[in-house]
This record gives sequence, structure tokens and C-alpha cells, in this order.
Amino acid sequence: MDDQVYFEDVTVGAEIPPLCLAVSRVQMFFFSAATYNGHRIHYDVTWARDVEGYPDILVHGPLQVASLARALTDWASGGGRLIRYAVQNRGTAHPDEELQFRGLVTALRPDGDRGLVELEIRGEKGGTVLMPGTATVSLPRRGKAGE
Amino acid sequence: MTELSEAEALIGDDARAVIGHELNRTVGTVRRLEFQRWAAAVGDRNPLYFDAKYARAHGYRDVAAPPLYLAYIGASVVDLDQLRPDGLARQSGSGVVPLPKCPRRMAGGDDYTFHEPVYDGDVITTVRRLAELEPKAGRSGPFVLMRFHTTFTRDDGVLVGEVAGSLIARPAKGA
Repeated sequence: MDDQVYFEDVTVGAEIPPLCLAVSRVQMFFFSAATYNGHRIHYDVTWARDVEGYPDILVHGPLQVASLARALTDWASGGGRLIRYAVQNRGTAHPDEELQFRGLVTALRPDGDRGLVELEIRGEKGGTVLMPGTATVSLPRRGKAGE
Repeated sequence: MTELSEAEALIGDDARAVIGHELNRTVGTVRRLEFQRWAAAVGDRNPLYFDAKYARAHGYRDVAAPPLYLAYIGASVVDLDQLRPDGLARQSGSGVVPLPKCPRRMAGGDDYTFHEPVYDGDVITTVRRLAELEPKAGRSGPFVLMRFHTTFTRDDGVLVGEVAGSLIARPAKGA
């Protein structure tokens, strides 16, 4: 195995490695294209400012959602699986702002040959929570055939 | 009028009549190129989505679609001359719930359960229902919380995923 994390390696209270990134305007364009999304608040600065009252265009909620999921699936690696994933969009982000996506282990449950990890997750912008949530990740156990 | 009754007044009888009903049903085929483009646009180059050998070594039968890609399989074709002024499609998702007093839409939250991975060629039926319209009194005034429930079902009848989602519908700025 590569750098697989196993159920036995995880403890309640542990943090998963945070994913830190900034979304560029070019990435936003590609995300709008990949999701067939014509919503002007994601590319039309004049519309976002003058009609909707925002200081700049808004990073897509689903792109923040996907980035937080990526923090989980990067950590869970090839043998882990995202089972449940719940997030709320609380705040907005603009292009080039530094964002952090984090997870904290809150509970552990064996599940046959695998194990379930419950996490509190959040997307943040400099300490302000943009997107709180919870997730369940299934991890393999050492020496079990389930992996 | 209290804030909450102001919010209730935002929901007309025609909108209430849609609660519990199917809003749209689409059938889409999972395409590798499309889910890989989505993953790359997220910046997520997970080898499970790109490297078939790696995916097979981890129990998948091929590269798998990213779990959250489920939401995009049912995307339909839009007519550019029928978009709302803000560029959103009228006929997709929330656009079919008549809330003319609340033209501004913001993402609320999503609660996904993933049952099975999906692969290139899988045919997925997406069914979206309006579960509830909740009037809310927020810090920045009254709004309506639209609650949806969406199921993703493979053509052999297996439920591969589902999501309880919400969307915030707000009155126009200055209304």
C-alpha cells in the first residue's frame, strides 16, 4: 500500500491534514464550464457588485463544497470511502482569498472488516467559518480483507 | 407584522402546492471525460478518478466518478434565451418553484449519502422533489428556506446516492 491511513491509526480529537488554497478567476471559469453554470455572480463583476451588492464575484458554493470533500478524500486515500457528507453554506468567498478546509475526528465505530470515522468539517477564511459540516468516512482495518 | 409572518407572506399558494412533488426527473449517462474535467476544475487529481490501475487495486472496477459529481449527471440542456436575468436556468432545480417575491438564490446546505460508486457508461436517473418551504427570519430580513430531496438511481434499480439539499430564496435587494 501507498500512504493508506487505517482505522487503527485514527484517534478521536485528531485533525486531518488541512487543505489550503485560493481559487483563481480562471479556476472559477473552468468550474462554471465543467458544471454548465451560467450564474452571473460567478463571472460578471458588474452584475455581482451593482445588482447583487457583493464586493466582487463569488466563489461557487459547490466548489467550496468539493474542496472540503477533497480534504477528506485526500486524507482517506485510495482505500477510504466518503459515505456521508453534510455541509452548510454560511459565508461567501471571493477569488484569490486564502481558504482552509479542515476536519476533526469526533467518533470511531468499527464496521465489520472496516471502520467508520465521524468528523466535524469546515471551510474557513482566515478563522471565519464559511462552511461547517459533518462527514462519515469508511477506512480499511489493518490485516483485513476489506481493503 | 413580525419577521416570520413577513417570511410566510413570501410563499404563495402556488408555491405551497408544489411541496412534496417531483420537480424534475432526468436521465443522464456518466462520462469519464466530463467527471475528469469536473475533478480537474476542482483541483482534485485523485488517482481513483484518473488511473484505472490504481482504482482497480482499491476495489473499483474502473476509474470512479468523484462522489459529488453525482449532482451533475442529470444536467439538462438549457435554452440561452430563456435564462433568468442572473443567468440561472428557469427550468432546472429551484427555478420551477414559483417564488416571484424571492428572486435571489443562494446555496444553503447539502447532506449527501453515497451508497455505490458510479462509472463511465452508468445510466443514472435523478429525481428531485421539493420537500419543504420554510419561512425564516434572518439577520438580513425574511427569507424562504427551500428543502429538496434528490435520489440518484442506476438503471438496474440500485440507489447509488441521495442528497437532502436546501437553497435560500431572498427578496430582491431593497425590496
